[in-house]
Amino acid sequence: MTAVIEVEHLTKQYKGTLAVDDISFRIEENTIYGFLGRNGAGKTTTMSILTAQNFATAGSVRVFGEAPYENRRVLSRMCFVREGQKYPDDFTPAHALKAASLFFPHWDEEYAAALIEDFRLPLKTRISKLSRGQLSAVGVIIGLASRAEVTFFDEPYLGLDAVARSLFYERLMEDYAEHPRTILLSSHLIDEIADLIERVIVIDEGKLLVDRTADELRGEAVTLTGDADQVERFIGDREVLHRERLGNVAAVTLLGSLGQAEAAEAAAAGLERSPVPLQQLVVRLSRQNESRRSGAGQNGTPRSRAPRTAGAGESS
Amino acid sequence: MSTTGTLTSADFTTPGRRAHTPNPSRTHMDSTPGRSAPAAQPPSTLSRVLNVVRVQYVNTYIFVWVPLMVLGGSLVISLAIYAMIGADEPMYGGGGQAPLWYFLVAGIQAMTLTFPFSQALSLTRREFFLGTMLAAALSAAGMALVYVLLGLLEQATDGYGIHGYVTYLPWVWESGWASAAVLVFALVMFFFVIGFWFATLYRQFGTVVLTTLLIGLAVLLVAAAFVITRMEAWGDVVSWVAQLGPFGAAGVIGATTVVLGIGSLLSLRRATP
Repeated sequence: MTAVIEVEHLTKQYKGTLAVDDISFRIEENTIYGFLGRNGAGKTTTMSILTAQNFATAGSVRVFGEAPYENRRVLSRMCFVREGQKYPDDFTPAHALKAASLFFPHWDEEYAAALIEDFRLPLKTRISKLSRGQLSAVGVIIGLASRAEVTFFDEPYLGLDAVARSLFYERLMEDYAEHPRTILLSSHLIDEIADLIERVIVIDEGKLLVDRTADELRGEAVTLTGDADQVERFIGDREVLHRERLGNVAAVTLLGSLGQAEAAEAAAAGLERSPVPLQQLVVRLSRQNESRRSGAGQNGTPRSRAPRTAGAGESS
Repeated sequence: MSTTGTLTSADFTTPGRRAHTPNPSRTHMDSTPGRSAPAAQPPSTLSRVLNVVRVQYVNTYIFVWVPLMVLGGSLVISLAIYAMIGADEPMYGGGGQAPLWYFLVAGIQAMTLTFPFSQALSLTRREFFLGTMLAAALSAAGMALVYVLLGLLEQATDGYGIHGYVTYLPWVWESGWASAAVLVFALVMFFFVIGFWFATLYRQFGTVVLTTLLIGLAVLLVAAAFVITRMEAWGDVVSWVAQLGPFGAAGVIGATTVVLGIGSLLSLRRATP
């Protein structure tokens, strides 16, 4: 795999707060990334630095092997669509899209026109008069139609309604299949984008928490549902991420996977095995991180073991 | 995509107008499925800078209509006053300055309204700066032309028939229409750059720092005036300016503008959208 972005020890210090805390990762070519984390985790700051819109306090960022700051060669290959993008007064969506077509070398006018229809974007209304959903659509269309080699979507879909959001996911997948490129989707609607993303990067309080493929992450945990006593038997010394009990039936989410023999045994014991939704995993990992920071296990997992660090794969 | 011509609303009305034109990059990529978009030849800095000018002129109010309206308004008011006075000898007034001061505002707007969007278009800050300055220079040239034409009109009609002069000021026209044009151009750029720089500083440092800076600047100017007054040197200052002539003044203002421009580019390089 070829890395299009290499981040090393990136740190961003604002007055009084450490927004990004010494993170390092690589972004591979032609991959869809989920860039996840809670609000204020440092996602936007990181993406702003990758696109040279903001400045690192320390560490280095290389995009296509070069520093992106004031670098026309690098910047013209990237597109950063952010939630709440500001547009000049008096601009209509038509103006904004026209301007985008001037600067993104791979801009596809035809595709943009199709997207305008899909999202029912009024072209001649002033942007300041658009609804939140329509405003989001402007950014989404620019991000898709620019076909930039690296495209960042920083939650621009938050303003879209459910129908428009699923339309966005659909169009993104279709276009990605035809024109592979590197896409970073930042979101906290993790379940919605879970099927799209191939790799997951989670940051929490400015620190890198997870950096692995979505499949690896999913394989990290399993939920067993069935007779409570039977379920307890399978926990062994595995870490319990989540436990629910209703009468005699329990559902327990375990870190780690079951071996073949164990899986067969579980099936024989009438336990149902189900994958853990990505969202739940990310939430658990973030909470774990939080409780680790606060120094006390307040997340109700009595069997919590040593804190997990990013990339420390745990397979059995 | 063409890099010249102006943006008109006609460009936007028919989004599907190119539906039958196959996109070359698309056909190319269709033939190599599974490959990523090839690294296109990066567009030249010049074409990107010219496109910034086009983006700045999407909103023609800032650079065209508002300065003309301000000039028109101050012309009407000046003439009304001249008509009321009704003197027999030529009357000169400062109404013609008004549109020049407006360019402080134009500089602020060109920065605050367009800079965040320019970053979303993946422009470098230098490209945005050069394009915006070029846009202002076009407007400044237009203003210079309008001033010269009005000045010629005033000369031809003996001050609109009432001996009232707004743009034809003897000292400005000392070396003919060219000196008036150059001086107007320099003043427009001077005010524009100041507005642009202040807006950049405001974005970067906020209200307190900018206000402090402005107060500091005012104190410096007052101190200079005080020193000149104490030294009873106003006569020297006036004669120095008179000696400078319009070309010399334009040169001094132009050089100052270049220095201010360099300062504002350096500030912009640290600005975040």
